[in-house]
Amino acid sequence: MAQTSILRDRCLVSFSLLGGVILGFTVLALLNMTAKELADIPHLLRVAADAKVIDSIVLTMAAGVNAIAILMIFGIPLAYVLARTDFRGKGIVESIVDIPLMLPHTVAGILVYILFMKRGLIGAPFYSIGFSFEDAYPGIVIAMLFVASPYFINSTREGFEKVPVHLENVARTLGASRFSAFRHIVLPLSARDIYNGAILAWGRAIGEFAAIIMIAYYPMVISTLIYYRFTTGGIKESSTVAFVMILACFAVFMTLRYLSRFIGRHDDRV
Amino acid sequence: MIEFRRVSLTLGNFALQEVSLTVRKGDYYFIIGPSGAGKTVLLEAIAGLHLPDDGEILIDGEDASHVPPEKRRIALVYQDYSLFPHMTVEENIGFGLRMQKRPKEEIRGRVDDLLAAFGIEHLRDRFPGTMSGGEQQRTAIARALASDPEILLLDEPFAALDPVTREHLITDLQRIHHEKGLTIVQVTHAREEILRMATRCAVIIEGRMVQEGQADQVFQTPESTVVARFVGMENILNGVVATSADGLASIDVGKQRIIAVSDAAPGTAAAVVFRAADVTLYLRDREESTARNQFEAVITAVVPLGGPLTEVYLDAGFPLVALVTRRSAEDLDLTPGMSVEASIKASAVRVIPESS
Repeated sequence: MAQTSILRDRCLVSFSLLGGVILGFTVLALLNMTAKELADIPHLLRVAADAKVIDSIVLTMAAGVNAIAILMIFGIPLAYVLARTDFRGKGIVESIVDIPLMLPHTVAGILVYILFMKRGLIGAPFYSIGFSFEDAYPGIVIAMLFVASPYFINSTREGFEKVPVHLENVARTLGASRFSAFRHIVLPLSARDIYNGAILAWGRAIGEFAAIIMIAYYPMVISTLIYYRFTTGGIKESSTVAFVMILACFAVFMTLRYLSRFIGRHDDRV
Repeated sequence: MIEFRRVSLTLGNFALQEVSLTVRKGDYYFIIGPSGAGKTVLLEAIAGLHLPDDGEILIDGEDASHVPPEKRRIALVYQDYSLFPHMTVEENIGFGLRMQKRPKEEIRGRVDDLLAAFGIEHLRDRFPGTMSGGEQQRTAIARALASDPEILLLDEPFAALDPVTREHLITDLQRIHHEKGLTIVQVTHAREEILRMATRCAVIIEGRMVQEGQADQVFQTPESTVVARFVGMENILNGVVATSADGLASIDVGKQRIIAVSDAAPGTAAAVVFRAADVTLYLRDREESTARNQFEAVITAVVPLGGPLTEVYLDAGFPLVALVTRRSAEDLDLTPGMSVEASIKASAVRVIPESS
């Protein structure tokens, strides 16, 4: 119905045209790059098979997954508390959650660096037992965790808030402890929002550059590698790496979107 | 048995204030009151979902203020049924038993019994989203009964049901109440439900318990005008006690004086309340009558109620409502402007001193 009527609705037509401009930018940028890259396929294949590039992409994605896994352990409980309780100072806690959203990423990077560097408040005790965040995988994960956390926490919290508190109450009167009610009712019913929050946060994490290079220039995440190639090898080198990353991301996100069809689907008309 | 002793609790901008009540084993207890009076919060407090700020909650005589809901054996059914949307009817009903880690066969047997008892076997594998209100309500009650609670709390269970489904469900609940001796606490604002089913009832207004007692007692002898209004007393008149002797008081209302069985002191401001059904209308002055209150009245409006009854509004020096059968209204040809004689038995009139 909407498809047949949209052309007769002037407002919707003009809104669609305006909205199309923003989509046009993205599509144009992608097509522009694709056309350039496909003009030199041997070069593209060489870059795509470059061990450094592959390692870097794998490293970036794995560190992202790692950051999200940690985020889930700490973020889900926090999101639940924020969704279900009202306490004095809640506004302050909410602002703290959102701080990484507001800060320039270089600032976020410095915050993380001075806390986790070898002489840092948290970094120093770890360094004394031989564990370093600087120029190491854990540093990447920590930086990603910091910048991605608001996306995950807020989305998860919205998911929890959508679950009617009556359902939890009923579960409790039926003999479920608060944790059981959370596990059997709230969690399954908000699985979709948690999943979407995780994807969003992961996307944010693998895209991070500024915050990561502060603490871990090496091993190079993909953004660092692209920047490095850009400054040393020029536009052609770096844009091919970028193109490979785009393909990899595209494949991953398509898969994740497809999988989301099977997650947390239920009829919530009641 | 559950007992509230001056329980207060604040929830956002809502508060229960010093609510005391006693629900005895086997009671069919009704909580009535206008919307927003705090009836649902009170049910949730009984279930243990809100901790009291002040006062005591006793279960079987022992302090249970801090016993969590999962340990109280009090099941709650909300007005919106609150079925778990991601579970089938079978899984919904079996939820409580699964939480109690009962053996699979036992759960299955119990669920089968309940499906049969509520006539919903055919819904076993359905998800709540595809079911009618009545089907959902049955499932919700079956789920509440599955874990064998001692008290069943029902929040306006019939509000959203069509009349036929409501009748069925009322019959089901009365059967459960009688057969199992289950204690039921039900919130409603439908008076006929209370008169039909209640053993005891409580009136709650703006977070305060204003009267509690045997259902018929609350309905016959309201202790305040808000309760009188709420239990459907059509005539509520403000006046001042003029004389009082031998258990009879006369109260000046407007230009008239109404006699009632009361020992209120003269000079006291008081409300006079009585049911429209206790007002009798006559066409002309009768010589002899035991009714103490006889007034000349002019009919101002005649309102048929759609059933066998008709409401007659009169001016007797004070506004008066009478309830007569449609037949007699027609036989006497009651029409606005007509003069009649209205009489009210003094024993049917209740006097409520203003302070209460």
